[in-house]
Amino acid sequence: MTAPIPRDIPLPLPAPEGLLEILLIAAFLVHILFVHLMIGGSMFSLVCQIRGLKTPDYEKLAYRIMQTVTVNKSLAVVMGVAPLLIINTLYAPQFYASSALIGDMWMAVIPLVTLAFLLAYAHKFWWNHFLNIPELHIGIAALETVLFLVIPLIFMTNVNLMLFPEYWPKVTGFFSAMLLPNVLLRYLHFVSATVLFSSLFFVWWTGRKTFRVEVQFSELRVIDVRRFFYAFAFGATIFQILTGLMVFVSLPAQGMSWGFTALLMLGGLVVLPAIWWMWQNLTRPGHLLDDNFKQILTCFACATIIMGIARHDYRENALADHKAAIAEKTINYQAAVKEAGEQAQLAAIKAKENDVAAPGAAAFNQNCAACHHATLPTVGPALQEIKEAYANNPDGIAAWTKAPGKKRPDSMKMPGFPQLSDDELTAISQYILSH
Amino acid sequence: MDFPIFHIDFIGNRMLIAVDAILHVIINHALAVGALPVIALLELSGIRTKDPRWDRLAYRLLKIIFIITTTVGALTGVGIWFSASLINPAAIGSLIRVFFWGWFVEWIVFVCEVSLIMAYFLSWQSSARSPEAKLKHLRLGIFLAAFSWITMAIIVAILGFMMDPGNWMSERTLISGVLNPMYFPQLAFRTTLAMVMGGMTMICLTYLFTRNDLPFRTTVIRAISSWSGIWMLTLIIASVWYYQVIPQHMLANIPVAVTTQEYVSWNSSLKWLLTVGLSFVGWVLWSSVRHPGQVHGAKYLASVLLLFAMLGQFERVREFIRKPFIIGNYMYANGIRVEDYPLLQRDGILQHATYAGIREVTADNKVAAGREVFEQTCTRCHTVNGINSIRGQLKTMYGDKPWQPEVIAAYIENMHGARYFMPPFPGNKAELDALSVYLASQQKRATAFNGAQTNGIPKPDKISASTVYGTLPNLANPHGEQQ
Repeated sequence: MTAPIPRDIPLPLPAPEGLLEILLIAAFLVHILFVHLMIGGSMFSLVCQIRGLKTPDYEKLAYRIMQTVTVNKSLAVVMGVAPLLIINTLYAPQFYASSALIGDMWMAVIPLVTLAFLLAYAHKFWWNHFLNIPELHIGIAALETVLFLVIPLIFMTNVNLMLFPEYWPKVTGFFSAMLLPNVLLRYLHFVSATVLFSSLFFVWWTGRKTFRVEVQFSELRVIDVRRFFYAFAFGATIFQILTGLMVFVSLPAQGMSWGFTALLMLGGLVVLPAIWWMWQNLTRPGHLLDDNFKQILTCFACATIIMGIARHDYRENALADHKAAIAEKTINYQAAVKEAGEQAQLAAIKAKENDVAAPGAAAFNQNCAACHHATLPTVGPALQEIKEAYANNPDGIAAWTKAPGKKRPDSMKMPGFPQLSDDELTAISQYILSH
Repeated sequence: MDFPIFHIDFIGNRMLIAVDAILHVIINHALAVGALPVIALLELSGIRTKDPRWDRLAYRLLKIIFIITTTVGALTGVGIWFSASLINPAAIGSLIRVFFWGWFVEWIVFVCEVSLIMAYFLSWQSSARSPEAKLKHLRLGIFLAAFSWITMAIIVAILGFMMDPGNWMSERTLISGVLNPMYFPQLAFRTTLAMVMGGMTMICLTYLFTRNDLPFRTTVIRAISSWSGIWMLTLIIASVWYYQVIPQHMLANIPVAVTTQEYVSWNSSLKWLLTVGLSFVGWVLWSSVRHPGQVHGAKYLASVLLLFAMLGQFERVREFIRKPFIIGNYMYANGIRVEDYPLLQRDGILQHATYAGIREVTADNKVAAGREVFEQTCTRCHTVNGINSIRGQLKTMYGDKPWQPEVIAAYIENMHGARYFMPPFPGNKAELDALSVYLASQQKRATAFNGAQTNGIPKPDKISASTVYGTLPNLANPHGEQQ
């Protein structure tokens, strides 16, 4: 199937394309990091709250986790504005098209995120309001988490759809776009990254001194909590590699290249030492959770950056031909616009020459023709009617125009024309009567 | 023309943006720009008087501000991007290409603003540990108030630029947005209005929160009323200034009498509202400074609502004077550039609309082709059955008499002349006829009108998939073969 080729916005990019691409990759990674911490925080808070029904210490932990969500969610939004702005700039023909094709769900992102945030605040600020009905409190947390999980699926659907213009004609509404190849697998890969990054974050966060000082557990030990997160981080890493392989195998061929493949393999390789260290720390006696923690984080940071670059590389590959075709069409269209514009100018000059010959006609066309048609009643009465009413009475027309009123019940009152001189009015009146 | 047409027929596309944007502006002006200085002021009073009630009240008010601005406030801001890019991608895309760095700077200021409000709110309790920490904390509040004002000052420059006719063609820089004749009056009006709105909103909430401590209520409300009263005086000056500058500036650009009439009626409704609103709010503030304990809460609430209405009406007038353009003299509200018109009127818009399903009007396809023309040229502002519906407009004009395609066509052909705020019709004669036939057919049996988000887009045909234009040489690839 062929892709529709629109024209680009005929204005230059505000900065060199390469600079915008670097900004996009960097800004997107920062945004997505906070998104992971926001969603992961919400998920872990829910899990801990449910565990808190049996072990009250987990409920304390859940509350602390929610405090991070408040900050991370605001940063996720504010950091999302920059990549949104840049993607609007670089990929206008593709991004606006895919957004429109899933328009109602795309617009729904705004109220859904608002609702999720309000629920998160209700969840956190009213923590002690629900002592007698923990089910309701957990219900709020669950709804908030579900919303946080649905929203990325909408984003994923859009950024996937924009990559494949040849799929656009097949899409009718959000759900058909969501079911296009790769969206759901990429989403799975995203969710496991959420678990991975947020659990790593909480391993660090629960290891700080202030955490130990502020949270007084009665039976739980901080080390148990940290192992809980560490285990999740390890499991999510393995799951992340598996889903990553599935995404790779199922990616549509449009964007594949050896460079892209090499980047993905490099990104995967960088994580391997981290997995080894994490496995040691979890299973070997004598190893601490904090062993090699900086190295592990560095591995993941490198892998994330490489994956961010790879993601961009795939997009550029997938859209290369489409972008080239759009550029070509835009240039040709501009030439056609120019040609037609010149023709129209010539015609306008000719028309003006005719106008000089008949000043009444020119003034009539400029001031009256919009409402008075030659034979048909439009806004005001037709010229024919006027001619009959004012036969041999051009002054009557001029007088009415100076102080118009409302004659017909079914048409609007005529506006005054103070800007017209007496000469012009006379010319117009004569033109009408002689028409 | 270059984007699939998103359309909501019930509330209408313009109304979607309007609801989102007005909500955003109200929250921004009343709860960020105007209210944050009040919070800092209350915190300062707490430090000075050593009365913990000030601090508690300030924190409570800030909590409300924090919750609303970081949810509805922030998201409606992003929502303006979302809705604008769905509804008029050509316009917002063009603006982004030109104002990218302006918006980028705005984003950086916004990041600071969000970081500051989190720091200010979340460190409130812990700052009580020492007087030094408290003073440092107060400084955060002052920075926060300053940054939220700067965000507004930048966006007003971009807004002012969009509506400054002519400039777009010659100088596409943010500086010319700042230097345009409407920037400073608008900024002054917005700033002072925001300050009064913020003060009044805080008075309302204070009234609510101090039910059980009437002596304290009196003290606080007098303090905020005095602060707002000073801003009220500047607001009156700013309103007069704005009102003096804008109509002259805009009226000079309106060539048609009917539009001038409409504009004057819009503008005088704003004047009327400003006069009544400012007098009432001024009176409430005056009595509130003199006898703060005796002013009923309902009067404060009425003042807040009046101020919201004034802001809303101000935005509507501001939007009205933008028409028929969405970007002054460069692009019409239908998303079509002025420069494109000769080509589209010569060949027909359907020939050049990438996502149109019909390319030529024939005797048999008039209604269907007319629907396509309607989609391309009218739907950015009009619905079929919803708000600002074309059925409603035609009914106002022709009532229950049978709607005649010829009459409608004769009207649309000259519409821009009679009603300057309507863009000229961008297609050719056959398309005008088809559009009129389609419109007339909607009198008795209107068909549901869905956008691309429901209907999708047609399979690409030769025109949509090709990159060359008719007999013109392929300029992009001068040595290559013709496709």
